[in-house]
Amino acid sequence: MTYRPFALAERIEDALGDPADEGNVFSVSRCLELDGREEFPEDICAHLDKLGLPRFYVPVEHGGDLDTYENLLQVIRTLSRRDFTVALAHCKTYLGSVATWVAGTPGQAEGLARRVLRGEVVSLALTERDHGSDVLAGRVSATPSGAGYRIDGEKWLINNATRGDLVCVLARTSPRSEARCHSLFLVDKHRLPSGGYHHLPKVRTHGVRGADISGIHFTGAEIPADAMIGEPGAGLEILLKGLQITRTLCGGMSLGMGEHALRFVAGFAERHRMFGRPLIELPQTARVLAESYADLMVAEAMTLVSTRAIHTLTAEQSVISAVVKYYVPTIVDRAVNRLAKVLGARALLTDGPFQKLQRDHRIVGIFDGNTLVNLNAVVNQFSGLVRGYRRERVDHDGLDVAAGLDLAVPAFEPDRLSLLSRGGCSLVQDLPARTGAAMDAAPEHLGRLRRYADGLHAELARCRPVARDVPPEMFDLARRYAAGYAAAACLRMWADNGLDTLWLRVCLARVLGGRDEAVDRLLPVLRERLDDRRPLSLLAYRSTH
Amino acid sequence: MSPDTIRMWLRERVAFYVERDPEEIDPDVELVEIGLDSVFAMSLSGDIEDEFGVFVEPTVAWDHPTVNALTGYLHDVVVTI
Repeated sequence: MTYRPFALAERIEDALGDPADEGNVFSVSRCLELDGREEFPEDICAHLDKLGLPRFYVPVEHGGDLDTYENLLQVIRTLSRRDFTVALAHCKTYLGSVATWVAGTPGQAEGLARRVLRGEVVSLALTERDHGSDVLAGRVSATPSGAGYRIDGEKWLINNATRGDLVCVLARTSPRSEARCHSLFLVDKHRLPSGGYHHLPKVRTHGVRGADISGIHFTGAEIPADAMIGEPGAGLEILLKGLQITRTLCGGMSLGMGEHALRFVAGFAERHRMFGRPLIELPQTARVLAESYADLMVAEAMTLVSTRAIHTLTAEQSVISAVVKYYVPTIVDRAVNRLAKVLGARALLTDGPFQKLQRDHRIVGIFDGNTLVNLNAVVNQFSGLVRGYRRERVDHDGLDVAAGLDLAVPAFEPDRLSLLSRGGCSLVQDLPARTGAAMDAAPEHLGRLRRYADGLHAELARCRPVARDVPPEMFDLARRYAAGYAAAACLRMWADNGLDTLWLRVCLARVLGGRDEAVDRLLPVLRERLDDRRPLSLLAYRSTH
Repeated sequence: MSPDTIRMWLRERVAFYVERDPEEIDPDVELVEIGLDSVFAMSLSGDIEDEFGVFVEPTVAWDHPTVNALTGYLHDVVVTI
């Protein structure tokens, strides 16, 4: 049994050709060269356009190929596995477009779809100098002028600000300081009068050195009234809803880069000999590789179920996206840093990909809502999460489809996105029943998971909500909530897809801490798959695969 | 339910979040200025649902940004059902 979105991943991989072949446009060595020169991967992005990848950034109802977000996830994963600068530069067009897909009129969406399908670049301009993650403090303004608006001010640290043909801009439409003071505008740079804007130079970054991280300064830039996406004052709301999708999809970036790191280090450990045998056979190295492999599969379980949940548990995505965006980059960062120790000093060599992906990966935890922003989003929903857990409220239809990889997901309905999940989180709230039902398969691990979830929610219930200066203990509880979610994702992935119980035990031990010696049994499976370019996936543990 | 009952409950709730006394919550001052930031103000929607058994959007406090504005809105909603 195969998972259909992997067929797409394979098609893309085949079209891109062997990453080790320097004759290919999109080869690893070429990406390293460009990174060394801090040069934008222009021809590689043009090649991706030619292959038709922008089709996956446009929903089917507007003429693209984006039907299930699982496919877009695999596009992001496949590109990130090869090179993150390229993935970030290219996939950014989806981030720039998402507000229009979620809240634009049919006319706006069709207009944008045509542009994206032509390969035009769409950027999202949110942050400003001095304000960082506090988007509400933003000063860029849109003032009514003639039949439209005029935009003034500067957006900075914007991916593709210079290359972008269109920029989705969050701008102040009211001078006050409240949630309804910003609106979103899709600004077409080609239609701005000259002098209406200029670009700010590319900044030099530690990771993704070739990326166009720059800025744009508007000076009385006149835009038509129909550039506004959604209602006046709805900017923040639309933005937060769009980010619920993109933050979930960020999991694909970590999966791709984590796999690249694991393959690179495992390959090295196969070839490199120490004490007369391959390094990979030394117990300590073997353990690091096997545990990293397990971590990646936990991240995958979580990302797959959460991406499917965009379609099936849409109203819960405010919790789900925050949990994924915090947890997946964090555990993959940890795995990458442990893998670096196997390479030793070689991790730093600039002619190898490892130093680049280690630098690049660190950025995933920062953009599109950093770790603290996401943990805060979980903290703000503690009371609903406690209520949902106590009542064991589960959207069974939604959760069953999210977890069962062979089931087709229904079409995504953006109107069901909500800034707050009224029903809490089905996956976690299903734990009391699900651990009970599965108990005999792995009594020690599942008993522990149940006690973990009960204890965590008892602590969450004791939390006094605070409006400001969230204490560190609450961030810590949010971290533990995310781990509980990860464990629940593994449990349902195992239960609904016929995965090996060995897999479940190893993953639960990785998430909850402690060690299951069975982890060593993952290594032969990993070694077998090193020569195969298909994704290193938990599906290897499907008994009927 | 009288507007006074709703107002009193809202002042208590807001006071609880910003750790002040209900008497200190001026019903005509915007919640943001009292110290309830906009993202956090969404929590009020869950409380309102629990207390009054009515469905309100998470952004209810964005569109009715003071205790008195919320009181007026909730009074209409509660009376309608």
